[in-house]
Amino acid sequence: MNPDPDIIVKFWGVRGSIPCPGPTTVRYGGNTPSIEVRFPKEGNRLVILDAGSGIRELGLNLMATQLPKGPIQADIFLSHTHWDHIQGFPFFTPIFVPSTTLKVWGARTHDSEGLDQTMGDQMSYRYFPIRGVELAARIEYLHLQEGQVDLGDGIILHTHYLNHPVLCLGYRFEYRGKVLCTSFDTEPYRNLFCTDPNDPDYDAAVAREAESAVREQNEAADRFMTGADLVVYDAQYTQAEYEAGKLGWGHTPMEYACRAGVRNQVKSLALFHHDPLRTDQHLDELALKHCEPGAYGPTEIFFAKEGMSVVI
Amino acid sequence: MAAETEQHGERADQIRDYIDRIPPLSTTVTKVLEVCNRPNTSANDLNKIISFDPVLTGRVLRLINSSFYSLPEQVSSLTRAIIMLGINTVKNLALSTAVARTINAMQSQQLLPSDQFWTHSLTVGLTAKALAARTGVDDRAHDDFFVAGLLHDLGKMPLLQCFAADYASALQTAREQQIPLYRAEEQMFGFHHGWVGQEIGERWKLSSTICECMGGHHDVSKGPRESQGVVATVALANSFACHESIGFAGDSFPDSEQMSQALQFLKLAPADMEQLKQTVQPELEKAQAFIKVL
Repeated sequence: MNPDPDIIVKFWGVRGSIPCPGPTTVRYGGNTPSIEVRFPKEGNRLVILDAGSGIRELGLNLMATQLPKGPIQADIFLSHTHWDHIQGFPFFTPIFVPSTTLKVWGARTHDSEGLDQTMGDQMSYRYFPIRGVELAARIEYLHLQEGQVDLGDGIILHTHYLNHPVLCLGYRFEYRGKVLCTSFDTEPYRNLFCTDPNDPDYDAAVAREAESAVREQNEAADRFMTGADLVVYDAQYTQAEYEAGKLGWGHTPMEYACRAGVRNQVKSLALFHHDPLRTDQHLDELALKHCEPGAYGPTEIFFAKEGMSVVI
Repeated sequence: MAAETEQHGERADQIRDYIDRIPPLSTTVTKVLEVCNRPNTSANDLNKIISFDPVLTGRVLRLINSSFYSLPEQVSSLTRAIIMLGINTVKNLALSTAVARTINAMQSQQLLPSDQFWTHSLTVGLTAKALAARTGVDDRAHDDFFVAGLLHDLGKMPLLQCFAADYASALQTAREQQIPLYRAEEQMFGFHHGWVGQEIGERWKLSSTICECMGGHHDVSKGPRESQGVVATVALANSFACHESIGFAGDSFPDSEQMSQALQFLKLAPADMEQLKQTVQPELEKAQAFIKVL
């Protein structure tokens, strides 16, 4: 345990797709993505990654531990706006507290629609009894593109587009020489075009160009995580599951994630966004296979668990 | 004069409003819907069907280059766009664009039949690509020439849709006075489809080369030096399609002076164009067979 951490990361939701509470998910947790990031040397500044169902309990924790000391302030970074990454937001209690100040950052999913509208739509009257515009907290929505943002306090954020069926951002926080990186929801780029010269659809020029686009995109994804102290990486499927019908769903086989972590000199790799069908027992078995020291190389690899903290 | 300028300004505003709502050509709509509604559309089919429609091609490139995507380098290849956005995103975009219709589509279709316009656009695209190969342009840039050719006349669509009656007069003037259509457009609107095309290109954030081809294919000498080669190629391809009467985009009397200029710029002889026909024709027939509506 690092006695003088620069960044503390705590997982409040690690599951992909849909919350799946029950006796078979007790140890790893059934909540959808939400991660608390603290910067202890900056007044314990709070950053939250994603607002899946896990953010509900994080909100309760903030109400109990932080609000008595002063107003809650946080930057929330959304990877994207699919349900499992935003569904906890209406149940994040601090949004009902007038003193709360939130900055919600993310990519504009639709050309004509801002993040406020996308987020607000799930709090329209037909889905939820309190409308988005009626929230007591001061909430500011900020649109991100691929690039770099200075968040102040010496925290520099880099963003990178991931490969998912909606605009989705990976985040790389750099602070005092430490790097925390997220890469979910995503899957490796692959050639979608016909590569068999005997196929009547084959077009050599297209196949070649697609191949070079794939290579460049995958190299850019690699560079984005290079040298990170902790990468939280999509690992929803095993390679076999991925190949048996999950190609193009926007998630990564864990074997690829592990190899990418090692290939890019990542210190610790948190396998994340567990499939809802994955039981505790199954995750334990996969951990034996993939997370043993040296299984892939020097990178420390583990399956993220609800309630787990990592210090950087 | 002031009143005329004001009218031009109003027309320009109307055009700008319309640009975001341009529907794809009805020639390709049925096939787009058919291909995209298949649950397992292949990337090759998707690429092909979109690459045959100037509006859809422009829209996909627009999505990937638009300000919220803000990639460091503009993408002008559809193949690359499909790899980056994925099949589903592109498919949904094509579907949503394909179902968009305009209220006066019927009227404008009589003026410039969609299948004829489509054939002209595609011929210019294919010819520009063949010319690129003929003039020793790097293989990797051939698709950019195709896209630039395919999109070159897109500026006619807003004019046609927003001011059908005036556009009919311009077409008539071009016919009666035996002048290039862009001159007749200029007389009627104070600007021609090149300006509208450039406006589309800039609003859709297409690459600067494509914008210059849309804007400058009737004036090869203007525009930055680095894009003059591709603009001249598209201008020549356009003249070729008009002279050969392959498809129809309203121009029965293209500017022959311009064709000579472009030939000269590209160091080609008229005989070279004869040979091109043999390359372009089979490609065009393949595309027509794919669409199966002609």
